Amino acid sequence: MLINTQWLNELLDGPDLSADEIERICTHQGFPIEERSPLPGGGELFDVEVTSNRGDCVSHLGVAREVAAGAGRSFGLRERSQPDSTGKPVSVLTDVDNRTPEVCALFTARVITGAKVGPSPAWLVERLESLGQRPINCVVDASNYILFEMGQPTHTFDLNTLAEKRLVVRYANEGEEFVALDGIKHKLRKTELVVADAEKAVSLAGVIGGLDTGVTEQTTDILLEAATWDPVTIRTAARRLRITTDACHRFERIVDPATIRAAADRLAALLVELTGGTLAEGDIERGPGLDREEQKITLRADRCRFILGLDISGEEMVERLPSLGFRVTANADSSLIECVVPDHRRHDVRREIDLIEEVVRLHGYEDVHTTDMVEMAVAPPQAERQAESALSDALVGMGFYETVTFTFVTHAHCDAFMPEGLKTLQVDEERRKGAPALRPSVIPSLLNCRRVNQDNGAAGAGSVRLFEISSVFAQTPGGDSVQSRNVALCVDAPDRQLGLRELRGVIERLAREMGGTGTSVTIEPSKPVMPAFDGDAHASLTLNGERLGYMALLTDSTLKQFGLDSPVAVAEVNLDALVGLYPPVATVEALPAFPSIERDLSVIVEEMTPWAAIEAAISTVNPDRMVGLSFAGVYRGKQVGAGKKSVTLRMRFQDPERTLRHEEVDPQVASVVGALNRAVGAELRG
Amino acid sequence: MPAMLESLDTLEADALAALSAASDAPALESWRIEYLGGKGRMKSAAAGLKDVSKEEKPAAGKRLNEVKQAIEAAFKARQSEVGKGGGGGGANSAGPAIDLTEPGIAPELGRRHVISRVTEELCDVFGRMGFEVVTGPELEDDQHNFVKLNIPAEHPAREPIDNFYVDDPLKTDVPRMLRSQTSTVQIRTMESRKPPLRIISPGRVYRPDTVDATHSFMFHQLEGLYVDRKVSMVDLKTTLYSFARSFFGPDAEIQLVPSYFPFTEPSAEFYMKIRLRPDEPAKWVELGGCGMVDPAVFEAVGYDPEEWTGFAFGFGIERIAMGKYSIPDIRMLFENDVRFLKQL
Repeated sequence: MLINTQWLNELLDGPDLSADEIERICTHQGFPIEERSPLPGGGELFDVEVTSNRGDCVSHLGVAREVAAGAGRSFGLRERSQPDSTGKPVSVLTDVDNRTPEVCALFTARVITGAKVGPSPAWLVERLESLGQRPINCVVDASNYILFEMGQPTHTFDLNTLAEKRLVVRYANEGEEFVALDGIKHKLRKTELVVADAEKAVSLAGVIGGLDTGVTEQTTDILLEAATWDPVTIRTAARRLRITTDACHRFERIVDPATIRAAADRLAALLVELTGGTLAEGDIERGPGLDREEQKITLRADRCRFILGLDISGEEMVERLPSLGFRVTANADSSLIECVVPDHRRHDVRREIDLIEEVVRLHGYEDVHTTDMVEMAVAPPQAERQAESALSDALVGMGFYETVTFTFVTHAHCDAFMPEGLKTLQVDEERRKGAPALRPSVIPSLLNCRRVNQDNGAAGAGSVRLFEISSVFAQTPGGDSVQSRNVALCVDAPDRQLGLRELRGVIERLAREMGGTGTSVTIEPSKPVMPAFDGDAHASLTLNGERLGYMALLTDSTLKQFGLDSPVAVAEVNLDALVGLYPPVATVEALPAFPSIERDLSVIVEEMTPWAAIEAAISTVNPDRMVGLSFAGVYRGKQVGAGKKSVTLRMRFQDPERTLRHEEVDPQVASVVGALNRAVGAELRG
Repeated sequence: MPAMLESLDTLEADALAALSAASDAPALESWRIEYLGGKGRMKSAAAGLKDVSKEEKPAAGKRLNEVKQAIEAAFKARQSEVGKGGGGGGANSAGPAIDLTEPGIAPELGRRHVISRVTEELCDVFGRMGFEVVTGPELEDDQHNFVKLNIPAEHPAREPIDNFYVDDPLKTDVPRMLRSQTSTVQIRTMESRKPPLRIISPGRVYRPDTVDATHSFMFHQLEGLYVDRKVSMVDLKTTLYSFARSFFGPDAEIQLVPSYFPFTEPSAEFYMKIRLRPDEPAKWVELGGCGMVDPAVFEAVGYDPEEWTGFAFGFGIERIAMGKYSIPDIRMLFENDVRFLKQL
């Protein structure tokens, strides 16, 4: 909110405060200055930050009250002589029907007749221009002036343009048209509030006036509206219609009914002064707003000291609270302090704790001291945090870059990764145009990220590994949310088989890092549950029978959908399941004292024979003293024959008691060859 | 002197003389072949030992060994004087030269994202003060994001236009939404646990901001909550001050300025005078919001506000990360260009 420091100084008693001094006080009272600039007429223009609970401070008077309290000054409006109400009774000239008292606590109307509307005098023009306002005519300008001075928005109508010269406060009819004073036509909804004459809406209540009923230089009779509105009703209409005005900014922050009359009186006096018109006798007041009891709160001085941790005496509280308008009475030792809340604070000071904040604000937040020590309660290390950290470190060590990508994806990308049986969760399309879906998997985001790095030339095929730990979202057909945290991996796989093997190795390594050397993930080829994956290159990951996640290659069409030129392999694992394995359990075994014997075996099998079948066949024989079996490689070529491959495996034999002799393992090797032949038709490669 | 001994003396003298004349690797190699090679003079001398008489044999044998050792040692010494094959290449002088100025080959190491790194550093510091890390769901409901945080229906923060609702708030009793603040975790923790409590909660939050160099519709916050029997505003300021000194260095200063949050009263913005980078002077930075937990929040979770008091604070993680690493644009954090990630 803009404040002219010269104007502010006029409202404060005593010598002018410098702009620096005003900034210091404002900041300490909770109104930091966002921007300062010098004004041509002297003083500075401040952009003051006012929190949303302080509707009473969106004016020069409101800020003056705070500055006065902070500076130990008094403050007040310069007196304006009250005009005699010499005219006819106002009730003869107009009438108001408030049909929505629940959202219009008070609507008041005054009338000035015989006005001569011309340009504003120089002082008024200067004031408004200093705040960036364009002067219009003296009536509209005076209304604006009161808004910036006192924070009360008012509206002035040309009485003679109003059908039947009366006003009705009502909800708009659905689809009712309204042309605002800026010429823009709006179609209103029935939840939106208008001020109407006998026929049509003449103002969108609390937001903006109408085009044809405003005061012009031809106007002679003026109806002056000063009212207050329900903040949510006003805000909802203004937001929907994309209108921001100084009036709705203030009504959204609540204008108390009890503060209206003073502003209306002051504006009426100013209008009489500027137009030479005659003020009709009395005013019209419609609404329940004034019928209220005093708002009293009791402050316990010791409770205040307890919450703040400060030794502020009850006497200090009693002495300082009145500077903000509180009427204070206390018991003899000032331990119980009764405060009557001023009308302009009724909405934000309702409880003892609110008074405690006022006490510390007046005392000064800068005087809240610190102590040398923080009281400690030792919390044990958190396994979950350590695990997440260890997991990330392991991935980093294996060459993975961590990404942080947005939770939102397009519908197309979401659908490709939606598990069977689940549905998309999404936010309003308006909020995230194009990508409103909450991702059911982190993979689409990693793929987008991979493409960015491909397209900008940062990383060619085969050079990047990415991971992200993040939440994923979906819902059941019944509408129950499903959310979990996943760790997602994406590795380049220009050679698809090699890429998958590398990824598998990463997953197995991660499981061991989490659960220890004995942890093994079961990786079994399975049908993918998401359309993005290649049906022949998808495996489910399980651990002790619990589903952990999956690893897969993408279909060519998915690669194309994401604009990727080269294949990638991806995996996604439930974070909780992985982290739940932590800390790793390790059992150390004595190192073998005697050397082992290694035997390589190359066998020719059908192309479709999986390594797992070879492994299984060997384990059924359970070769004596075999301590290790590993995959050494695959060869395809002319010598092997079409539709076949040669698989080389390596067996290691060892005896804990002595050195084995070669002839002792020959029978086992022969039995493995036999088993492989029976199980998968393997032939020894010559 | 027996002939054998005499001829060994000659062999030694010749060998040493020829060795000192050999001035490069090829000359040394031909010397080696002449004297120490398989058909060299040393071998022939050894072969001559079988013709020596039985009485002279021990002395001749001894002398033979001496000569052999002497010229071998001399060869080694000369070899290192001359250098191995013209400046490198190992014992075999024909091998390639070593070039220590060729670029190194680093094993590929990935990187944590800067947001994760800073989050972890922050958690470590608060962890040392006894705060426990608690996380909560990002898909929340308005009860936890607003209602129980004392944010009433008329508060502007609840406008659908300013939030990512999943359900229409006008048509649903408890509409789901992406959380707009990590304060939700305060509520979830207090609902399920009894005080005293000392927690921090880092995580993603979502607000439909227009994206520019300093705003994003998704960002990260860290929230703190401390509830005990006699927690005061002095404890709040002391905790934040201790954090500031621990995280930003012993010169850090702190200032609280009155502010407004529905879930704290009194409320404050906290500023810290800090050096985000060691090469920059310390400056005041508006870091986040804090305050004493509002009694209405305690009532919403079933704590007695007369028995328990507490404070809460929260701040953005991007701001610290960007300051610390001089990142000019928040969008760089979420683009994940590996050329960017590698720099951090």
